[in-house]
Amino acid sequence: MTAWKETAARRRVLTILRSRPFLTVAIVAAVWIVASFVSRGFGAYGHLRYLVELAAVIGLVAAGQTFVVIAGGIDLSVAAIVTVSAVSLPLLSWQADPTGLTAVLAVLALTTTIGLVNGLGVALLRVHPMIMTLAMATFLQGLLIIIAGGSAVTAENPLVRWLGNARPAGIPAGVLLWVAVSVIVLAAMHATSFGARLFAMGANPLAATLSGVPFASTTLAVYGISGFTSGLAGVLVLGMNGQGYVGIGDPYLLASIAAVVLGGTSILGGLGTYAGTIPGAILLVTITALITVVNASPGWRSILFGSLILGLLLLSGREQARR
Amino acid sequence: MVATAPLLAARGVSKSFFGNPVLRAVSIALQPGRVHALLGENGAGKSTLINLLSGALRPDGGAIEVDGRPVSRMTPAYAQQAGIAVVQQELSLTASLSIAENIGLGAYPRRFGLLDYPELAVRARAACDLVGLHEPLSIPVGHLSLGRRQMVEIAKALYRRPRVLILDEPTSSLSATETKVLTELLERLRGEGIAILYISHRLNEVMALCQHVTVLKDGACTADRSLEGTDASGLVRLMVGRDPGDLFPQWQASVSTSNAISVRNFSAGLMRDVDLDIRTGEVLGIGGLVGQGQEDLLLGLYGAIPARTASATVNGASGLPGGVPKANALGLAYVPADRKREGLHLIHSIISNMMLPAFARLPALKLRSRRAERETARGLAAQLGIRGDLDRPAQALSGGNQQKVALAKWMPHHPLALLLNDPTRGVDVETKREIYMMLRNFAAAGKAVVLLSSDTPELVHLCDRVAVVREGHIVAMLERGALSEEAIVSAAMGAEQRQVAA
Repeated sequence: MTAWKETAARRRVLTILRSRPFLTVAIVAAVWIVASFVSRGFGAYGHLRYLVELAAVIGLVAAGQTFVVIAGGIDLSVAAIVTVSAVSLPLLSWQADPTGLTAVLAVLALTTTIGLVNGLGVALLRVHPMIMTLAMATFLQGLLIIIAGGSAVTAENPLVRWLGNARPAGIPAGVLLWVAVSVIVLAAMHATSFGARLFAMGANPLAATLSGVPFASTTLAVYGISGFTSGLAGVLVLGMNGQGYVGIGDPYLLASIAAVVLGGTSILGGLGTYAGTIPGAILLVTITALITVVNASPGWRSILFGSLILGLLLLSGREQARR
Repeated sequence: MVATAPLLAARGVSKSFFGNPVLRAVSIALQPGRVHALLGENGAGKSTLINLLSGALRPDGGAIEVDGRPVSRMTPAYAQQAGIAVVQQELSLTASLSIAENIGLGAYPRRFGLLDYPELAVRARAACDLVGLHEPLSIPVGHLSLGRRQMVEIAKALYRRPRVLILDEPTSSLSATETKVLTELLERLRGEGIAILYISHRLNEVMALCQHVTVLKDGACTADRSLEGTDASGLVRLMVGRDPGDLFPQWQASVSTSNAISVRNFSAGLMRDVDLDIRTGEVLGIGGLVGQGQEDLLLGLYGAIPARTASATVNGASGLPGGVPKANALGLAYVPADRKREGLHLIHSIISNMMLPAFARLPALKLRSRRAERETARGLAAQLGIRGDLDRPAQALSGGNQQKVALAKWMPHHPLALLLNDPTRGVDVETKREIYMMLRNFAAAGKAVVLLSSDTPELVHLCDRVAVVREGHIVAMLERGALSEEAIVSAAMGAEQRQVAA
């Protein structure tokens, strides 16, 4: 009996050790250890904390992206939504509410609505997710240029500033926010029937529909969540940056998708977990930091970044062919 | 006539798919200047035999002979060289290419290494004239009706100047005029010494056109003889009438007079203005040739495709469900025909597959209990005899066990009416028996079962009533007493009407 228990426990440990999220964590740890020997100051607590703080923004955008990808779609409007959030928040007056909470909630409601519109297009008008969200991104970019123009706007909202700069108990508020969001996301994904429906939709939409999964409302919810977390990321990046400007969200499109895929979630949908996206986001920031250490010109930085992501994906195993 | 060697022949060929024998030692010889009919029910092995003759498949045993000499490696390319052309049942045309381009595809005339369009036009025109296609050759095939496309398909075969022409249900989408043109064409080709293999479910055509017949039943040849002195009912008898054995459970009446589902003037997909009452406690069979709208009937009732109806009652609620979640809430459950594509999530665990309908109907944010899920799945697996680790992906299971999972996932929800789309297709005999048992027990418990099947014996031995569907209408409702394979097949083919007419 005890022997059986032991083998069951061993099997469980082996499953975790072989899982993609764990592999990504291991890669992050290895890179950190090697880099802190090679580069002085890389392994300092302050620097690592800073890396995780940067990863929080990617992690938030990638949270919604993970939902969308698992459900079999993709959201190419996340970068534009981050910008919408970071640019529209300073424009909102917060004087009536000294905490600034109202303005933040209003912006989150706006970005969630944008996500819901994406969902409407995908679920009801049957527009391919790639086309729908790309069109949405282009639309939003045009709107932003008309509203904000080329100038940067300064955030004076106290809640936003607190979020971007405070360190309760030495931990950045943004990281705390990320931890809270991660707990909710993981619970929704793996512990609710809503989460189970997403995996079913991503793996075989037809079979899911015939099994009674409410396709339209679930799709709507998924893109709405993506709009919400992108909006949240926009609030955080605005707080950390102090200013919002058109283009502030641009780096987060590739980053969010790369974090999802590096974390082992299938780009085809139906398989994956946010538990992999979290180390995926940290890995991306770490790579960026390493490239900065190398002191390359901006052009070379981009080239290195792209090549490293490709290399890492090859290293951590390409997707197996699926029928 | 006997002296000439057959242009194309199969000698004792056998073929199995995944251990299920589809053809057993079948022989057929196509003589020049003869139209040879190939008859058999759905799944009798006709398509497999054609695929062997045309080199698309290789036989497991036996030989294919061309001009009396055995061919060791029959391939589609060799078949084409030998002058064998096949007009497939499922059209193989490219919708965006023009008529001429489709006809010449794979055998384009070339000049200086480039496609010679003027030459192609001349030769395609000649082929089109043979079949009476007078449309401009430059219009895309996608713009043509199904019947015209079928004629393009035939022209494509003729373009290759075949010596052997195989036609797989060529007239199923043709109008009466087009059928007449085709019949005259085949008569002329026969006169030119071409060997023709003609597959059709329309017995009057076969009687009028063909000289010789081969009948397949369950992968074995039951007749190979001249058509002279045979009538339509004789052919039907040759196609059906086998020993049902003890595959089917003892039939016992459990039908009540109350209706589980009742629709008037129901239309969905191909189905037009159908009246249907499905009683509680009965197994209602849906029969007919493949693709007459039977599937649309089930999907429409289930709310998976748009449907219209004058009035409907489903398990006491009035009106059609209009959506799958609503249908599930009303106690309907659907088991699709294509379990890999429509029924299962192959990359997910067996447990997840079994629990999906539960996930679909529970409140979205209700927390899952993995322990309870595992217990439910264990119970279902034990009940249905699915052995092994339930954490394996569903694709690890055999076809029969996959079908059991597709059925089992509905059981915890105690559906009042089961809609089944060909549940035993590609399933081994043992699993078939288990599924039949389940369905009969289900009916005995006062539930309604709607069994769409392409397997006629199944309909005869399992069902209380059988609705036979042809061209989107229920053309016959056969009661238990009147159920026989002959009755179903003749209703499906419209043989009754002809008898009346004759």
